[in-house]
Amino acid sequence: MIENLGIPFQYDYMLKAMWVSALIGGVCGLLSCFVTLKGWSLMGDALSHAVVPGVAIAYLLGAPFALGAFISGLLAALGMGFVKARTSLREDAVIGVVFTTFFAFGVLLISLFPAGISLRTIVFGNILGISNPDVIQVAIISAVTLLVLALKWKDLVLFCFDPQQARTLGLNPMVLHFTLLTLLAATAVASMQTVGACLVVATLVTPGATAYLLTDRFNRMLAIAGGIGVGTSFLGAYASYFLDGSTGGCIVVLQTLLFLTALTFGPKHGLLASRAKRRLALEGKFA
Amino acid sequence: MNTCAPALPAIDVSVEAVTVTYNNGNVAIHDATFRLESGTICALVGVNGSGKSTLFKAIMGFLTPAKGRVRVGGEPIRVAQKRNWVAYVPQTEEVDWSFPVSVWDVVLMGRYGYMNFLRIPRAADKRIADESLRRVEMWEFRDRQIGELSGGQKKRVFLARALAQQGRVILLDEPFTGVDVKTEAAIVGLLRELRDSGHIILVSTHDLGSVPEFCDQAVIINRTVLAFGPLAEVFTEANLSMAFGGALRQFRFAESTVQKHDGRAVTVLSDDERPLVFGKDGHLEFSQRAGREAIVHARAETEDDQ
Repeated sequence: MIENLGIPFQYDYMLKAMWVSALIGGVCGLLSCFVTLKGWSLMGDALSHAVVPGVAIAYLLGAPFALGAFISGLLAALGMGFVKARTSLREDAVIGVVFTTFFAFGVLLISLFPAGISLRTIVFGNILGISNPDVIQVAIISAVTLLVLALKWKDLVLFCFDPQQARTLGLNPMVLHFTLLTLLAATAVASMQTVGACLVVATLVTPGATAYLLTDRFNRMLAIAGGIGVGTSFLGAYASYFLDGSTGGCIVVLQTLLFLTALTFGPKHGLLASRAKRRLALEGKFA
Repeated sequence: MNTCAPALPAIDVSVEAVTVTYNNGNVAIHDATFRLESGTICALVGVNGSGKSTLFKAIMGFLTPAKGRVRVGGEPIRVAQKRNWVAYVPQTEEVDWSFPVSVWDVVLMGRYGYMNFLRIPRAADKRIADESLRRVEMWEFRDRQIGELSGGQKKRVFLARALAQQGRVILLDEPFTGVDVKTEAAIVGLLRELRDSGHIILVSTHDLGSVPEFCDQAVIINRTVLAFGPLAEVFTEANLSMAFGGALRQFRFAESTVQKHDGRAVTVLSDDERPLVFGKDGHLEFSQRAGREAIVHARAETEDDQ
């Protein structure tokens, strides 16, 4: 039994799947802190679906998938901005219309030209079968994202917390807005490889949401969310070998389990802690 | 009063024929002109929708005027921002209080403009942030998450951030909403110290009653600047009625059920709630005599008996 646990480490494709998943999971975990605090969860979901036509076209043309995904994601973001500025529609309606349009276009392209890439790979991810050029693209995306976050995370935190203060300090909130949006699009593309377009939003929200319940300091939140991202992605890829199930499914289920644990047992915002606090307050009042 | 702060070189804020339009073409404010010089506390007063917050945003550079310009120390607002001249204390409602930052983190944000590319605080930044927190008496709370503070404490943290920024022009948006009386007095004291050391303090408020208590000047606006100047000159009933129109609650003693006024009638103005007035015997007074002649009559008789 014990020796069986080592089996995934004997296969190159499993090793690759595990470390690439861990890398992407970590990057998404870090970014998820900004996404949850900025209220961009829906935006993350939208971008992860909006990149699909770009990926399809890139595979048809033989171009790097990241490039196609990136252009398509950016177009979607611009499209949302345009419709929102020109109409009085609520933001969620605008996001809903634009991203489903992009996703539908992508699905249509793939079904018309099935040679390029299978719909299954895009929607559910296929980290076990990831090609080396794709690994390189994912590694580059992750490295650039990590670098930008390492250099500018404090400015991005200020932008999320108080964009007006950022402006009074002479920073340009529009630049920070697009930096964060670009990072979001880039990581959505990378995460699509491991968990697929459908579940990308989970990796970009759940670790941050979990960490938020566990701490009220941003730097700790980053550490926790990053750790959750790395750990769950590594273990998810590992477990998928034994379960013979979807890697994306494993990763996201693990993240959800951690979220539920934090929701229940969190020291400050957890359900049990709140109940204890309420009881204490009542006793204090009527004792 | 703390007079040890050395007087700083003079600075001014000049709003020159500023017109701001919304995307839909509506004019929010037009041809607004006034100029503030070093060492003043000025109130920006107007009803909701008078363009008060729009003008405020234009001065802070959050939106660009369609016509006219704002100059701080003779420079465009963008340059003033780069030099950390303009500090801003937001309305309590605008802040995300559940954000995972501590009091100390928030105050350090005031120093970002002085820090390097990576925003790593140097000893001087920490010292100034420390002093700012002590000045508003919030140093003991530096490790608290900002949501765990009372209304007055929240206000003081953001005031400390503005102090840490060492801005020469400090804009405060509704500084007294949700603030207890003691904190209000402390804030006013601090604003006076800042004024005396040559700062320009601009306070946007709908709290008319508080304005004469601590402001030197006032800008009264309704879509444009209706009046600007020393408080005693511009804070007149006529100007305020013009600015607030029907939005102002009035209590004219001459028309009320108050018994013995001497003919030199006093008017109480309030833009928000109706004032509750009690007569000298603890009677509840009504703003209109009409329809309440019986009460006036009865009270007049009891007074005659005494």
